Amino acid sequence: MTARGTPSRFLKSVLQNGVGRYVCQLKRISIIFSKKGQGSLGIRDFIEEGVVDYAKKNPTTVVYVSPQPCRIPKIVAEYMNGTVREEIVTNKTSPQISELLAKMTNQSGLDIIRIRKPFHTDSPSIQGQWHPFTNRPPSIDPIRPKKEDSQ
Amino acid sequence: MVFLSLSCWIRNRGPDRYWKVQEVLKHARHFRGRKNRCYSLAVLAVRRAFVYATKARRFKKRNMRTLWITRIAAASREHGMKYPALMHNLTKTSVQLNRRVICDLAITEPRSFLSLAKLARARQQEGLRAALGDGKEPPGVLSRVVVLQ
Repeated sequence: MTARGTPSRFLKSVLQNGVGRYVCQLKRISIIFSKKGQGSLGIRDFIEEGVVDYAKKNPTTVVYVSPQPCRIPKIVAEYMNGTVREEIVTNKTSPQISELLAKMTNQSGLDIIRIRKPFHTDSPSIQGQWHPFTNRPPSIDPIRPKKEDSQ
Repeated sequence: MVFLSLSCWIRNRGPDRYWKVQEVLKHARHFRGRKNRCYSLAVLAVRRAFVYATKARRFKKRNMRTLWITRIAAASREHGMKYPALMHNLTKTSVQLNRRVICDLAITEPRSFLSLAKLARARQQEGLRAALGDGKEPPGVLSRVVVLQ
């Protein structure tokens, strides 16, 4: 877990999302669960109560609900930049699952790795960045148009 | 069959040695030499790397602070002041900027840093006048700054 051994990135937003309109970066949510398994109990409760409200609140996200014979229920989230995140939701309660979905909705699809600085700016310097000649007086006078003294 | 104990010599070893080895080697891929390929060398190197990383978290704070101080000292010497004088006078005028911010100002906003240096120099002159003039002149404007709690 060294800084050079693990990948890291700078803070950024996907295509300056939020400067103008905010576009939810979550493209698709697929809920994979089983109709009979006891680990999918929370997911089944969530699908009874909360999934329709969630889908109505996030009209830009497509929700797929697929009951399959599976050991572990999963939520697969796909983002606009192509990242796919799978979360295993065995033995979670319905409110926990809605919290998890809210967290995934607010994420952009950028990698979850160490962020080097908690701030980012495209224009770090307003007055001009320092260079060795900033505070040095100029060696020649400013160039002016020649004054006609004879006139 | 003649060799009855042959079947007792067959052992079933663990199935995931490859993944356990890769877990360690993935932290050693950017090392130099055989430490990035050979497991026995990599284990020792990765352990040292983690120990250094743990210790370095305390040193990083110290090193960053000395870097900021060096940069502020260089910038203030360009304007004819020294670092201790600058910081002491800035605290006396209740400018509560920390070294990181002053260092960033010195790099990206040189004119703001110049104004900070002038403020500190004015406060320094007032302090000298108050100390040497012995109260016959009125006290300076900057010495009357209220320090908010």
